[in-house]
Amino acid sequence: MYSYILHRLGMMALTLFAIITLTFFLMHAVPGGPFVSERMLSPEIAAALNAKYGLDLPIWQQYLNYLVRILSFDLGPSFKYPGVSINSMISAGLPVTLQTGLLAVICVVALGVPLGVIAALNRNRWPDTTVMFIATLGVAIPSYVIATISIYVFALRLGWVPTFGLDDWRGYFLPVFALSGFWISFVSRLTRSSLLETLDQDYMTTARAKGLRKGQILFKHGLRNSLLPVVTVLGPVVANLITGSFVIEQIFALPGIGRQFVLSITNRDYTAIMGITIFYAAVLMVMILIVDLLYVWLDPRIKLTKAAA
Amino acid sequence: MSAPILSVRDLATSFFTRRGEVQAVRGVSFDVHPGEILGLVGESGSGKSITCMSVLRLLKAGGKIKSGSATFEGSDILSLDEDALSDLRGNRIGVIFQDPMTSLNPTLTVGEQVMEAVRRHRKASAAEARARAIELFELVRIPSAAKRLNSYPHEFSGGMRQRVMIAIALACDPKLLIADEPTTALDVTIQRQILALLKDLQRRLGMSVILITHDLGVIAEVTDRVLVLYGGLIMETAPVRDLFAHPAHPYTVGLLGAVPDLRDDTHKRLTPIPGSPPNMLSPPPGCPFAPRCPHAMAQCKAALPPLFGAKHQSRCWLQHPDAPKVGAIHEVAA
Repeated sequence: MYSYILHRLGMMALTLFAIITLTFFLMHAVPGGPFVSERMLSPEIAAALNAKYGLDLPIWQQYLNYLVRILSFDLGPSFKYPGVSINSMISAGLPVTLQTGLLAVICVVALGVPLGVIAALNRNRWPDTTVMFIATLGVAIPSYVIATISIYVFALRLGWVPTFGLDDWRGYFLPVFALSGFWISFVSRLTRSSLLETLDQDYMTTARAKGLRKGQILFKHGLRNSLLPVVTVLGPVVANLITGSFVIEQIFALPGIGRQFVLSITNRDYTAIMGITIFYAAVLMVMILIVDLLYVWLDPRIKLTKAAA
Repeated sequence: MSAPILSVRDLATSFFTRRGEVQAVRGVSFDVHPGEILGLVGESGSGKSITCMSVLRLLKAGGKIKSGSATFEGSDILSLDEDALSDLRGNRIGVIFQDPMTSLNPTLTVGEQVMEAVRRHRKASAAEARARAIELFELVRIPSAAKRLNSYPHEFSGGMRQRVMIAIALACDPKLLIADEPTTALDVTIQRQILALLKDLQRRLGMSVILITHDLGVIAEVTDRVLVLYGGLIMETAPVRDLFAHPAHPYTVGLLGAVPDLRDDTHKRLTPIPGSPPNMLSPPPGCPFAPRCPHAMAQCKAALPPLFGAKHQSRCWLQHPDAPKVGAIHEVAA
């Protein structure tokens, strides 16, 4: 177990290295630079700026310098905002993104799974068709449409919640709803189909033949076996939600890192792009590792071996 | 003879599918006596499994019991409510299924799967349930029982998994054990071990067993009495020796002709029964076997024969007093 986790962490470091390298060279291959949007930059000042941030060095030298710095967990200074480090940029935006993201994750699990179970248990009856109709809409409608419509209805018309910002606890409702709507729908559909498949298994008949109570049959024998595909998608979903969404953060004016990331790309803020990419990649890989460990707990047939990694 | 522990009367079960009503069981009546092993034999689709799953009300989606009764220990199982029924299942009636590879939950230890059956029907602490599970594993001869309790099904072979299934079925000392093709999915050598075990357990525990199979060898080896099913109906019923010595229905004769005889080294071919079973979406009005029967008469296609005879019964018009005599078909005593 521990050697498996160590092995996986080693693999993660390698993957991260590959991601850093790729992103670094791809980013520099894109035309433009951090200072081209500045107005009337005289050649002397441009040269001085480039020299200050080491952009005048050959690209391989810049790459090596970056690697050395990253080893001490220093993501470097922002090229766009003088005096702001990328570490502080992430730690400023992260709490906001993390709060809304985690609330969205809770909604996905707490609503998506039970709705799927209700639908499966009432197959082809009204609770099923209702849940599946809403879930199909939820999967089909983009989050920015959900966001705009819900702002119009709940903030402007009904006035129950503020239109933007998180100053008030009610401010969380709409962004969390817009963030999680798609995934609640997705997870409820997945739970439904997976549970229906499980309910058809021979061992479910065995459980009934033992005279077990309905709840025992459903939770102990049914749900656990049908949660595997759900857990599989939850890993990337959690990574996706807690790293923020540009669109949602833009619409609700949330100062999170999702918005920061997209802005840094248009600004060619090299260190910000690198820093946030590395952060995203690390979060995603940790989530996938957690999912793989959860598998073993859910399904004893899956064994942790280095060969499997 | 003592009172039967299970009496099934006029049981009819259909599956409602998109293509129409599949009449799987069309009026089956039989008794199971204390301490007997009753064999249900027939080919795929004859209704043998559906008959037993109807008695337990464990039909898959679309299946519906249309009529009949199944009296077990004085109450009609078919009209019990869900709670009373689940008190019976796994407690007074145990079940073993065909495929031990898929009938155990892959994510729970085998010990847990035995213990939950014990604890559902008996007031037992965790330690008592565990002791009972070890006792059951020893009963079905799983070596190093205490250790194997913590194993998962995938760590067992097919034969061992079937022993676990038997242990689960016997968890609460059932009066009746229903074994639905318990050896079909196993190797031939393992089949013999499991059959011997079942027969031995039946004798030691004094329970009744309904054994469903399509294998006449299994029937000959372990059962006391046999029901031959075809097209959702009982075609012939007799004590096992009688059935093999004096088959009284052309279908039974056909089945016996399709069994290889190892003592016979004349290398003659097996005799298959020509044709295929009836379509149960619209079963024929007469005898369902008539289209494949070498002795079929006009009467056979016109009307369904009743069961002739008393202890040995045959659903064949040849048993009618006015019917022509056919050498291969034995007559049943009224």
